[in-house]
This record gives sequence, structure tokens and C-alpha cells, in this order.
Amino acid sequence: MTADTPLISLEGISKAFGAVRANQDISLAFRAGRIKSLLGENGAGKSTLMSILAGRLQPDQGHILVDGQHQVFRSTQDAIGAGIGMVYQHFMLVEAMTVTENIFLGYPGPLVIDPSRMENQVAELAAQVSLNIDPRARVADLSMGEKQRVEILKLLFRQNRILIFDEPTAVLTPQESEQLFEALRQLAAQGKAIVFISHKLDEVMALSDEIAVLHKGAVVADMDADQIHSKAELAQLMVGREVILQVERDHLEARQRVLNIAGLGDDALKDIDLELRQGEILGLVGVAGNGQKPLVETICGLKRPGRGTVRLMGQDWGSFFQRRRWDGNLAYIPEDRQGLATCRNLSLTDNLLLTTRRGFTVGPWLRHRQAEAKMEELAAQFNINPPNPSLAARQLSGGNLQKMVIAREFFRRPRLIVAEQPTQGLDIAATEEVWRLLLKARDRAGILLVTGDLAEALALSDRLAVMFDGRIVDTFAAEDSEKIGRIGLMMAGSSP
Amino acid sequence: MNTDLLVPLLAAAIQSGTPILFATLGEILTEKSGVLNLGVEGIMIVGALAAFVCAKLTGNPLLAFALAGVAGMVIAAGHGVVCLWFLGNQVVSGLALTIFGLGLADYLGTPLIGQTAPGFGKLSIPGLGALPILGPIFFQQDLLVYLSVGVVPLLWAFLNKTRWGLNLRAVGEHPEAAAAAGIDVLRYRWAGVLGGGFLVGLGGAYLSLAYTHLWTSGLTAGRGWIAVALVIFAFWRPGRALLGAYLFGGVMAFQLRLQAIGTHVPSSLLLMLPYALTVIVLVFASWKSRQANAPAALGINIEPQD
Repeated sequence: MTADTPLISLEGISKAFGAVRANQDISLAFRAGRIKSLLGENGAGKSTLMSILAGRLQPDQGHILVDGQHQVFRSTQDAIGAGIGMVYQHFMLVEAMTVTENIFLGYPGPLVIDPSRMENQVAELAAQVSLNIDPRARVADLSMGEKQRVEILKLLFRQNRILIFDEPTAVLTPQESEQLFEALRQLAAQGKAIVFISHKLDEVMALSDEIAVLHKGAVVADMDADQIHSKAELAQLMVGREVILQVERDHLEARQRVLNIAGLGDDALKDIDLELRQGEILGLVGVAGNGQKPLVETICGLKRPGRGTVRLMGQDWGSFFQRRRWDGNLAYIPEDRQGLATCRNLSLTDNLLLTTRRGFTVGPWLRHRQAEAKMEELAAQFNINPPNPSLAARQLSGGNLQKMVIAREFFRRPRLIVAEQPTQGLDIAATEEVWRLLLKARDRAGILLVTGDLAEALALSDRLAVMFDGRIVDTFAAEDSEKIGRIGLMMAGSSP
Repeated sequence: MNTDLLVPLLAAAIQSGTPILFATLGEILTEKSGVLNLGVEGIMIVGALAAFVCAKLTGNPLLAFALAGVAGMVIAAGHGVVCLWFLGNQVVSGLALTIFGLGLADYLGTPLIGQTAPGFGKLSIPGLGALPILGPIFFQQDLLVYLSVGVVPLLWAFLNKTRWGLNLRAVGEHPEAAAAAGIDVLRYRWAGVLGGGFLVGLGGAYLSLAYTHLWTSGLTAGRGWIAVALVIFAFWRPGRALLGAYLFGGVMAFQLRLQAIGTHVPSSLLLMLPYALTVIVLVFASWKSRQANAPAALGINIEPQD
């Protein structure tokens, strides 16, 4: 083994699920001291490849070399034994246990455990790599950033040499992301091989030594980061065609007030003031879990307001939801496409009828055929694929289902739209389409865009509001570049 | 009430709480691994029958006691096959197990009704047994009572002080995380189901070997259900299970005494007492804690990863 032998290399890995070829002839090398990014859209084969590396899936063809030696991973145990560790997007931590217990989980050792010795070991390791954490804290009490540190410590404790991070910044504030990058660079300097999986181009450009791009299951590029000159170049590789990451947005005159919240408070919200007019998009940003959910639920009538007033279209909350008109009204595009927004086993037509029954009823009877014709028309208009109204909601891809939800809600010509994480989990092409639809809807509606994706908020919003710990930290115009620079800090709770 | 009445009552409380204690500890072990087994009642009565038959045939109560545990494991294994292999619904499977166990014991036990078998007698601990008041309550019990109390710290230490216990709890809290850490999650769930079934079977054996020495139909009389409720009351902690089991044992013994003394209260109302207490305890426990400390993945099957 020479100094240049990769810690792990993949040679000609292929994996198919039925007719779907998730990975095709993938060859990649991961070297000590290098940060390698794996970039690709949803469905490009990233997660299949990672499952193969983690020993959860066996490849149909090809093999894995550890230190230049062939090795077959039959189970996660084998992969752990080879020094491969993963930090999953959804943390694999037991919330009810302490940091130390989590780190020692599955770790071989004597049968009877000695908590204080274990805690000391964890504290020592944490100090060594300067990841600050209380070994005795319960995981449930930690922030997302701290939980991630526990995951990293778990890997380091097992002397893993290859650390794989699956979309690690999705749950972090910009500051926490910065800290994570710092830690990753430090770990690479200590001789670990880091694999960073993401679809956020900026992060990949900022962090990586090497970048590999996956498209439709195959590696379309594998190069040093300094060979890449622009984001657009990278995006094109990833999507397979030219993409425009910017949408045209011209200023509209804000008109009638459609939402007015004053002094709203309850157990999760603190003194919220918010105003939204027709013709504008208000981007509500913040790390998930800082009160966005209860706020949206209150606006959409799922939760009764505690203190303060909520007025929709100039009407009081109570009377608004008592006499709700089906059109020219409020439309809610929930985060949970397959749960709150649609019934997964019902057809698209039935899903259309869930919120839109007017015009499709005669007395107590539904006019199903008319609804089906309408659904077909909407499918063509909103580019929903496949345009078959009798398909069940679960048979559509995430992007197409989201377009279906938007089509249904826009059909009601809403004047107030609440869109919650509208592009989460969508690929770039679908994201673009959803953005265009939202911008178009701004003509006749005020849109509250709740998002954890800062880039999305900046691309679409006329005004921005930052939420932290149930409060609106600040509200400002999208042109206020000085405040925009401080959004990250505000998301972490510092005052504007 | 003077000590002449109180001391025998408390001693009886411990005695009638012991089968519930075994069963509660068993169900705690099973639930800590993330499996909800509502078949406790059925497993208990099969254990009781197996112990009774074995004691009658061999004359060896200790062997009979152990065999009841094995019988409990066999019945619980049915639950494991349905839920761990075939991913069946844990509630339905557990209920079916109860119905099956009660039916099986009734069918096989009918010829034995009214017969007796050798069992465990009182075993006074030298020295301690001679203490006033405390002696008759705690130290003039049968061997199985001492054994059951011994299981409490053992189970606690297993769950909290050993690597296996840590792994088992992790499997009950977050099986995906446990699997990612390289733990064989199905093996631990099997261990929880079988180990729990063993302890529940022992609880059944106490009824036929020490509590009565005599076979009657419906011997368990809902004690398995009380154990299921006690797990929640105990917040899944062995120590609290001891407390809860003796509390219920006390109420059961108390209503028997009241009936014997002959009060004007109808006996059916008195018989209801332990079950009414079950309801009250459950309401109290859920109101106070909102099910705090319940294993997060309790009752959720582990789907195979694709």
C-alpha cells in the first residue's frame, strides 16, 4: 500500500431495483485528508450508493476496495469494521438516552458498563477534536447542531477513517453550518476522508477538495474542486441541461391587506405582529421548530389563536373560519404533501374535490365526471405528469404531486396563500416551476412563504421575516442587504 | 385496626402481589425492547397449568416452576413469530394470544379441576423471620416470593448497568439508530419477547404452586391485565413495579378478607375493587406523566430496509 492508495475505492458498482438502474458502473476513490462532495439531484443514486458503502445494500456488480484490498460488506457491521461511518440526514440517536450512552451504543466492551468512566472518555475525545458537548446531557435536550456533534463523536470514537455526511446542513442555521465546515476541515487535516453529500451548490463549492457529480445513476464528473469555475457549470452537470437559478421578479404594488396579526401569543408563540398584502410575498425564515408550525396552523384555522388578534381578509379569525367561502379566499399548501395536503390512496380527482366542491355538486351528489374533466385540464395547464386524473396521489413523484396541490389550490383563486416548504425534496427543475407558479400567483394574492431554505426566500420574497423561539425577530424589505447579511445571526436568536 | 388483623393482611398482600410482580417485570422487559405483548393473561395461565401438571407428575415443585417459564417462552414465541417475522399487528397478536392461552388452559385443565399438586410451603428465614411484625410480613413467605423480589434489582441492573440492557433499550427507543450502530435489532427484540414470556410464565406458576396448590378454571382471573396496566403505572421501572404489585396484592387480599368477615357490601362490588383500582391508577399515571418514559418505538414493528 502506497501513500496514495485511496482509503476506499469503488470499482464499477451497479445496482438495480427492478427496471430502475439506481447505480450504473460507478467508480470513485476516497482519499485520506480530502473532502469529497457527492452532488446530485433526488433520484440521482446518491442514497443507493451510500447504502452500499454502509453495508446496507449489496451491489449487483462491481466491488469495494479497502486500502487496496477487495472487501465484501454483507452487513452494516462489516462496513463499520472497515472504518466507514455515516451521519444520516435524520439523526440516528436515541433521544431518551444521554450523549455518552448514544456514543457507546453497539460498541464492544465488557458486559457491565461504568458510566462515569465512559463519560470521561467521551469528554476527553470531545476536547481532542474541539467539539464542545456535555457527555451527561440527554440527547432530547440538545439543539440540532449539538446532535450532529454527537453523531460525529460517535464515528470518531469508533476510529472511523471515512466519514460520510448525508445532507448535513439541512437542519442547521448558517452559523452552525459554518462550525460544521470548520470541524470537517479539521478532521480532514487529521487524515480522515470526508464524504459530503449535498445538492446545495454553494456549500459544495465552498467546502470540497474534490467534487463528483451523479446524474441518473452514473458519475458524470469527478474532478478537483478548483477545476470548477462557476455554480452554473456545476448545476448544468447535475441537472443535465442548462438551468436558471434566478427567477425574474419585478416589484408589484402591494394592495389590499389580506392578513393582519397583532400581538398573537400562546404557549409556543410570543407576541407576533405580521401583515400581508395582495401582490407581495413575505418570506418567513428560521430554523425548523421555532414556532413556524403553530403560526401557520393558527393562520390556516387548524389552531385557535391564544392572545391577540388574527384577521383574514379583514374578518376576525372566528367569523372567517365559520363562514368560509370556497373561492377568493385562503389556500394552504402544507409541507406534508402526502399527509396533510392529499390522501395518498385517493385519485387526483378525489383529491381535487377535497378542497373544491363548489361547481361539482348537484344537491348532495358529486358530479364526478365534471371534476375529472377539470382535473385533466389542470394537469395540462400545470404540467402535471402523468396527466391521468384517476391515478392515486401516491403514484405521483414529489414534484408532480406538489404541482397538483398548487393547481388545486390556485383553482380556487385564493387571495391569501400560505406555502410551507413548497420545494422541499424537489429537484431543481420542479423547484423552478413551483417558484414560477408562486410568483405568478402574486398578481392576485398575498403569499406567506414559510421556508427553511434561505436561497428560496431570497429569490422569491418582497419582504422577509425571521423567526426564532416563537418570536418574529425582525421584518424587513428584501432589498435591505445589510439586514440580509445578518439573517443567519437572527435565526440563531441574536437581536437585529 | 390492630396488628393481629393488619399483619396477616400485609403478608397476604405480598403473597397475592407476587404473581403480578413476576408478570409485570416480564412485560417491562418485553416492552423495553419495543414489543407490546397483550398476551400476558394467556401466557400466565399456560404457565400455571404447565407448572401444575409438572408438579403433579414429578413431585418436584422447583422443576415445575422452571418449566412454567419455558412454557411462557414457547407461548410468547408465537407473538414473536407473528410480530417479528411476519410484521403482524402487535395488539391483535397479543389479544389473540390471551384468548388462545385461556382457551388452551381451560381445555387441557378441565380434567384437573379440584385436584391438588405439591407446591411451595412457607420458608421462614432464620433470624429475620423471628422479628416482631416485620418477620411475619416479609420473612415468613415462600421461596418464590424471595425469588421475585430478587428479580427486581437484577432486571434493573440488566437494563441500566449492562451493555445488553443498553442495546435492548436502544432497540425499543429507536430501532433504526440501533441498527445503524451495528446492533442486531431483531435478536434483541426476540430476547425481550422470550425473556419477558419466561418471567410471565413464572408468575402463572406462582398461582398454581404457591398461591393455591389447586387447579381451578380461570385461575389467573385478570391478573395478566393488571400487570399490563402496572407497567404503565411503574413508568417501565422495576422498582416501581414492586410497589404497584404489592398495592394491588393488598387490595385483592383486603377484599377477600372483607368477604370472609361478612360485610353488607355485595361481594361482586368487592371483587371489582382491584379492577376499579386499575382504571384509577391508569388515569392517574397518564394524567401525571403523559406516558413519560414509554419506549418511543413501543408497538412499532421493524420494517426490513430495502
